[in-house]
Amino acid sequence: MSNAVALQEGNGFTPRSRASEREVVPAVDVFENGDEILVVADIPGLPGEAIDVRVEGSTLTVEGKRQPTEQSSLAFVREYDDVSFSRTFRIPAGIDTAAIRADTKQGTVFIRLPKLAASKPRKIAVRSD
Amino acid sequence: MIAGWKDLDDTFRALSLLQRGIDHVFDDWNGKAGGPVLDPIRRASRTVWPPINAFETKDSFVYKARVPGLAEGDLSVYVEDGSLILRGECKSDVPEGYEVRLRERVPLAFARTLPLPGRVEADAVTATMKDGILTITLPKAKETLPRQIAVKAL
Repeated sequence: MSNAVALQEGNGFTPRSRASEREVVPAVDVFENGDEILVVADIPGLPGEAIDVRVEGSTLTVEGKRQPTEQSSLAFVREYDDVSFSRTFRIPAGIDTAAIRADTKQGTVFIRLPKLAASKPRKIAVRSD
Repeated sequence: MIAGWKDLDDTFRALSLLQRGIDHVFDDWNGKAGGPVLDPIRRASRTVWPPINAFETKDSFVYKARVPGLAEGDLSVYVEDGSLILRGECKSDVPEGYEVRLRERVPLAFARTLPLPGRVEADAVTATMKDGILTITLPKAKETLPRQIAVKAL
């Protein structure tokens, strides 16, 4: 009798539907050169239109909402869930936020944050009199 | 160097702490509902990459692998001895002229062998890549498909 009670919801068993509403943090590389900061994020399984890159004030958010897929009842290998992705960054000072742009390619998002001219390394000419 | 870089992202720091503590990046259950979970990150050791889902239809087996950033030339797909083999290299090169500030997408060589659940028509296997998902469709061998036998009354 007590075994049947243990299997019901609320006794440590998490319903499957919760897993697919879960949001994961995508893996990201960040590179920098004199002109820009380049953020590269892995967001597989979503078409470009479903990926949202937003600048709100001084934060940058990369988000991809899970697409509804045909649930196959005959799955025999299941190593990943169709999940939503989200990651938010604070944009550092010195970035031209209006010029931030993003491209997607093969499930990877490339976000370029151009630096403001005043922040770019500037060579000062040394004059000798 | 941009001032304020150290403040760039709170989750960077939290993520590093998470990474140091994590052994089971492929656990589906993080113990509680809700809250962000680390996506299976490419790691050279300990974890299996790429993650694969597979399902069966009436006439084929379909495998899907999550391979963001991979180009067709980076991987090979074989059908051999009743197994599906995926082999390749995930090159995440540092773009020329840039310095690295954060690196989570590490370059990785991978090889995975998956036993097929049934016989397939090896010549009719197709593989396509879209949005970082590799889809391999293996039509079931014709002799394994159900065949209806007509019943004739004498």
